[in-house]
Amino acid sequence: MGNIKTAMVVLWFMVTLVVALGSSVLKNKVQGLERRLATINNNIQKDIADIHVLKAEWSHYNTPERLRKLANEQLSLENAKPEQIINFSALHFNYENNDSEQSVRTDKKSLTTLVKAEAKKK
Amino acid sequence: MGFNVSFSKRKNEKFYLPGQEIKISRRSISTKSYTTENDNVSTCRARTWFTLCCFIAVYLALCIRVSYVCLGNGINIDTAISDQMAEDIFHFKNPVTRADIMDRNGEIIATSLPTVNLYANTKKIREPEEVAIKLNEIFPNDSYEYFLSRLNRKGAFIYLKRNLSPAQQSQVNNLGIPGLEFENCEKRIYPHKNLFAHVLGTTDVDNTGISGVEKSMNERLTTSTKPLYLSVDLGIQNQIRDELIAGVKQFNAAGGAAILMDVKNGQVIAMTSIPDYDPNENSKFGEREMFNFATKGIYEAGSVFKVFNTALSLESGKVKVTDRFDTSHHIQVHRLKVTDPHGSHGQLTPEDILVESSNIGSTLEIMRVGKKFQRKFLQSINMDKALTEFELPELAKPWFLSEKNWGETSMVTISYGYGISSTPLHIITAFSAIVNGGMYHQPTLLKNVKHKGKRVVSQKTSDSMRTLLRAVVTRGTGRRANVDGYQVMGKTGTADKLENGHYNHGKSISSFISAFPQSDPQYALLVVIDDPKASKETYGYTTAGWNAVPISRNIISLVAPQLNVRADFDLEKQKSIVDAAYKVKKQPL
Repeated sequence: MGNIKTAMVVLWFMVTLVVALGSSVLKNKVQGLERRLATINNNIQKDIADIHVLKAEWSHYNTPERLRKLANEQLSLENAKPEQIINFSALHFNYENNDSEQSVRTDKKSLTTLVKAEAKKK
Repeated sequence: MGFNVSFSKRKNEKFYLPGQEIKISRRSISTKSYTTENDNVSTCRARTWFTLCCFIAVYLALCIRVSYVCLGNGINIDTAISDQMAEDIFHFKNPVTRADIMDRNGEIIATSLPTVNLYANTKKIREPEEVAIKLNEIFPNDSYEYFLSRLNRKGAFIYLKRNLSPAQQSQVNNLGIPGLEFENCEKRIYPHKNLFAHVLGTTDVDNTGISGVEKSMNERLTTSTKPLYLSVDLGIQNQIRDELIAGVKQFNAAGGAAILMDVKNGQVIAMTSIPDYDPNENSKFGEREMFNFATKGIYEAGSVFKVFNTALSLESGKVKVTDRFDTSHHIQVHRLKVTDPHGSHGQLTPEDILVESSNIGSTLEIMRVGKKFQRKFLQSINMDKALTEFELPELAKPWFLSEKNWGETSMVTISYGYGISSTPLHIITAFSAIVNGGMYHQPTLLKNVKHKGKRVVSQKTSDSMRTLLRAVVTRGTGRRANVDGYQVMGKTGTADKLENGHYNHGKSISSFISAFPQSDPQYALLVVIDDPKASKETYGYTTAGWNAVPISRNIISLVAPQLNVRADFDLEKQKSIVDAAYKVKKQPL
């Protein structure tokens, strides 16, 4: 009886020790995770604020005036004119049958040249 | 080790000590001196063992769980926390509290930036002179005296400078002066500067809307961080504003306004008023710059009103498109002599009356219809009240005569656009109803709001009006607005300016109201030019045909392709262009 009692007490102490140790480790881990979570939260919050500012800057850089100027300088693009818009029905390409042999790829430059020539004639 | 506990020996009539009735099997625990029935000490021991084992079992379970959690992947965060907890943990708030304003395509047109204000707790500042010198070095735009006067005040919260840049904040921080502190705040920014000045309005130093959408939608913008989508289009607005500015400059005008509206739902796609201002600037602007002519400018529209006169005449059934009116002689109505500025035109149909913009013809039309129907019709298109449902606080109530004062003379002058004043917004909204099939839609600046329309003219009248208005552009005063393929229709109007109760014949307001395309009108455009000057280019004329019309043409030819309005070109001509292009491609130079 005495041996069992001693064994049980020892077991009890060991279990208590393990639980205490485990709890301590667990608490430590949780605290570490909480710190990490707080840091991540903080970073996300900062990122949200930064993204907000970047969006405002993006909007500032994308003003139509600036884009038009850049498109004109770098890409030689101009506003589309009504006479540059061609109806599908005016094209030879048979879209419904995807007739590649008869397909015509209208060359932008040549078309623009012709349109300009027409405008000059007018 | 297990226990075999039973209460089989318990008798109801017998008294038991606590634990005495518990019987523990001898086979489970072998103790020589252990008796279960009558020995109280044994009973207590059994109870102790039982409790001890229970504790051990619980501790073991805890131990296993703790080991599992500590050493393995014990916690699955997705399942271990509730949705509410997850929302609490992962919900991040944007530090900016005032919602952004977007155009119809999701482009930011107003936003707020997080910033800081600098304030002083003057109780903590020992040498205000020295602090003022240092602050003056960082903020050279504010004088030393300004800072000194603020620092000499007694208080724990004295504003020194609002909306510091990060660099300025860092410089002030580096001074390390106790008593200089920062307050988090936000500043409203308008990335496109003047472009939407009159639409968006602006906010005060506390970020509360004081004009424009910022004021009218202040509650919505401060209670929800979700962006507010407007019906305006950034690109289209820019094109229209540029063309209007160019026009105002070319004709040396005092100002101008333009509105582009979707005729099918009353949504405003673009609205601009010149001169305007940059809402980012804190300085106070002049009254003229702050004035939104498009919604607040009341003026007599002149011949533009003949559109409504013809529509109401046709709608009344007393005038038909085939009728002819003799306009060869002037008309005398009491003391008013009605004449046509360009001389007599003879027999005119309603179409000719619009094409020639005949005052006499309009007078003859309205004399058939009568003033009661005229007044009722103008009321039905809201010419008598402010458009209070429109999302801007800067609205004006039209100048509309009372029934008592609506006499014969008024009836006649109103038929050609004098004696009634309204805003450009009133005119374009009513015009949209005339050309869209007859449905009047309340104008709106919000993308997702579509007001239920009310019928003001029949489909038949609307169809007739489209034909009549198209004729004005093909062979009338609006010829210069004829953009190939877009079947533009419209009406010009030039009215003398009313100054101090008298008409100033040297100053006028010219306007051109148009819609396109005639076959299925989608957009209406109104261009108003305030006090244009005559020049060599206009051959000395200041009428709308020489200023508002060419501006409208430029605008339509630029924006119609962007708005995906289907152009109705001559198919044969197009085919010949494509054929020619194909040949060029096959036979390169």
